[in-house]
Amino acid sequence: MVVELVAQTVVNGINVGALYGLTAVGLSLTFGVMKILNVGHGEFLMLGGFIAFWLLRLWGVDPFLSLPLVAAALFLIGAFAYRLLFATLSGYDEHVKVKNSLLVGFGLFLVIPHIARILWTGDERAITPFYSGESFPIFSVRVGYVPLAGLVVAIVVILLLHLFLTRTYLGKAVRGTSENWKAAKLMGINVNKTYMITFAIGTATAGIGGILVGLTQVISPDVGMGWTLKALIVVVLAGIGSVGGAFFAGLILGVIEAVGAIFMGPYAVALGLLIFLLILMFRPQGLFGKA
Amino acid sequence: MLVVDKIDVFHGELQALWGVSLEVSEGELVSLIGANGAGKSTIVESISSLNPLAAGSISFKGIRLDKEPAHRVVEEGVCLIPEERGVFPGMSVLENLELGAFTHDSRNHRHETLSSVYALFPVLESRRAQKAGTMSGGEQQMLAVARALMSRPKMLMCDEPSLGLAPIVVKSIFDAIRQINQSGVGVLLVEQNVKAALGLSKRAYIIENGRIMGQGESKNLLNDENVREAYLGTG
Amino acid sequence: MSHAKRFSISGIVVLFLILIPLITQRTDLITWFTYTLLYITLSQSWNLIWGVPLPLALLAGALGAVIFALIIGFPAFRLKGVYFIISTLVLAEILQILFYTVLPRANVLPSKLLNAYSLTPRYYLSLVIAVLAVVVVDWIRRSRLGLGLMSIREDEDAAEASGVNTLKYKLTAFLISTSLAGLGGGVYAYYAAAVRPGYLFSALWTFDAVIIVFVGGVGTITGPIIGAIFFVLLKQLLSLYLPGGSHVMVFGILFIIVVLYLPGGLIGLISKFRKA
Repeated sequence: MVVELVAQTVVNGINVGALYGLTAVGLSLTFGVMKILNVGHGEFLMLGGFIAFWLLRLWGVDPFLSLPLVAAALFLIGAFAYRLLFATLSGYDEHVKVKNSLLVGFGLFLVIPHIARILWTGDERAITPFYSGESFPIFSVRVGYVPLAGLVVAIVVILLLHLFLTRTYLGKAVRGTSENWKAAKLMGINVNKTYMITFAIGTATAGIGGILVGLTQVISPDVGMGWTLKALIVVVLAGIGSVGGAFFAGLILGVIEAVGAIFMGPYAVALGLLIFLLILMFRPQGLFGKA
Repeated sequence: MLVVDKIDVFHGELQALWGVSLEVSEGELVSLIGANGAGKSTIVESISSLNPLAAGSISFKGIRLDKEPAHRVVEEGVCLIPEERGVFPGMSVLENLELGAFTHDSRNHRHETLSSVYALFPVLESRRAQKAGTMSGGEQQMLAVARALMSRPKMLMCDEPSLGLAPIVVKSIFDAIRQINQSGVGVLLVEQNVKAALGLSKRAYIIENGRIMGQGESKNLLNDENVREAYLGTG
Repeated sequence: MSHAKRFSISGIVVLFLILIPLITQRTDLITWFTYTLLYITLSQSWNLIWGVPLPLALLAGALGAVIFALIIGFPAFRLKGVYFIISTLVLAEILQILFYTVLPRANVLPSKLLNAYSLTPRYYLSLVIAVLAVVVVDWIRRSRLGLGLMSIREDEDAAEASGVNTLKYKLTAFLISTSLAGLGGGVYAYYAAAVRPGYLFSALWTFDAVIIVFVGGVGTITGPIIGAIFFVLLKQLLSLYLPGGSHVMVFGILFIIVVLYLPGGLIGLISKFRKA
């Protein structure tokens, strides 16, 4: 009996953790490459979720089919947001850049939820295709189809990202730029364009995450900051510079929270925050990061 | 080919270059010598469009480099090997070389360029999977030169390639530079090691405190009393 | 509602809000997010419940604030810059969750005080506190503490190297600002007459204070004052036409503009016009 409970909890934790990981990956990439901490990251997640929601509601588009659409849309929105807001910061000292990007991201957090609220009201929405509630048993553990598909999506996205970074010219340019942007410039790499693409990839993954959140939980205009915080915790837990690490750290956080909920009930949320602080104080480079 | 015309450059509020002019013709090997802090790096960085010009102009084959962003300068065929070498430490030798051929033109020809680079520096081929950050100073310098070659430059600028390297290694680097120049690539060599630089180049410029103080045939400068006293430690 | 009453209400909110942002203009930019400590106003509302006379209650609130500041500040202080900011926020979130679950119900003023509720004395009280805050901050600016803080803001490492005990200065600034915040919170609790403890720990207070200070002009005395007045006016105006909270959005946009293009805030803009 206990074993079943624990197993079920772990499975649930993994499902949520995959979301955490996916959300964190975008933030980690952006911060690692250009030292921009986009505190408005969660807002892009929220936007992605809403686009998928309305696509389903108005035109019956299956959320898994709208994945590439949302990814493309959030890529463009992210590129636009970068050019408009963050590009001005790119010339500064790292120190100043991080602080100011924090502020700009904060500004996004102030503005975007409001616009969303005006457009769509503050109601919570869930993306519910017809197969929503179904699940199948593995031994005595219930595995929902939708969360499982979400896990698969998250893994696929991360794999694609990894391939992009290691096998394509542009991806290698992104990695090079994050190691030494001056040298990158001297090799003919358009650093500004590279930054913009990196940022846009970050927002695109956030958008995909948003769809998954809408499918497995709920989205509302205010849901962004909560996810930004989760992403931050995961990024700190994983350490900067590790895309795969961010995913695993997300899974770890998900499982810890799920298990914690058995013993601590609603306080379990504080667990993540506590982990965040502990890591910062005692192992600032995170579990997988480069020192 | 390269014409630097009376440029002024500032670092923040401080002026670093005053009315600096120099030229490099096609296929020439020219040295730029001077003491630490004289402004040598500032000049080549400005040519690469890393610094804005407060006055003057820089042209390459008739195209104004100072009006282009840094990555376009590389596309035009001018490549800088910076003083810090500018390799990507976390990436492998091969990846570094591949990124050197980032511009469209060089990317299309990268396989042949890679072969010729390996021929010039065999050690890079044997270490191609190694992370660049784990290599010795000399090997990193070779990598830096090699990755610059991957961009198929018409002119190469080397900022203090001998810095921090043992004499034997310096010799092999300089041999490589001579070979590169003989294949038709113009070279602007920036060096503190005056004797070696003058030995390698046909012409040289002397820079002091941000101003060009002298220029001429290298062998003349080698024999010039003032030069010998200031830079070669002999009277 | 009569004009005078309407005026008083806006006035009280303005003044209250002035109070908070003045705190944040402590020149040590790193300590912005410490205003998460505004929460501490919690302590205040407890005191009101127990019927403690007002001035004592206010002082107790300020003290409570300081205590919480030490709790939150201590672990976070070892970290630098961004990490400090995020950590204080995270810590405050933890505290908020804690308080919402432990003390879910609202605390209310004792009934005899409720019956005698009148706006005017609260207005004057806010005014007094606001003026006090301005005076304190101004005094600091001219003092040695202020000089040290400004040097820390310019370049913390250089300041440390020239013998400025950065930890002590930062801690002092932190504590002074949190006690002012606590006072402000106390006044707010008195004004609102009923508050849920968890609400006071909400990060929204911090955000309000931060955006007011930045838009007004960070690092100046008059900046936050102008910012606060502007903020409250905008809030009242916009709430007539748009859903609640829209003033935050407008301020958010202004905030972004200020961060990117107008580091001096509105005050900076005004002085630019003066020079032209």
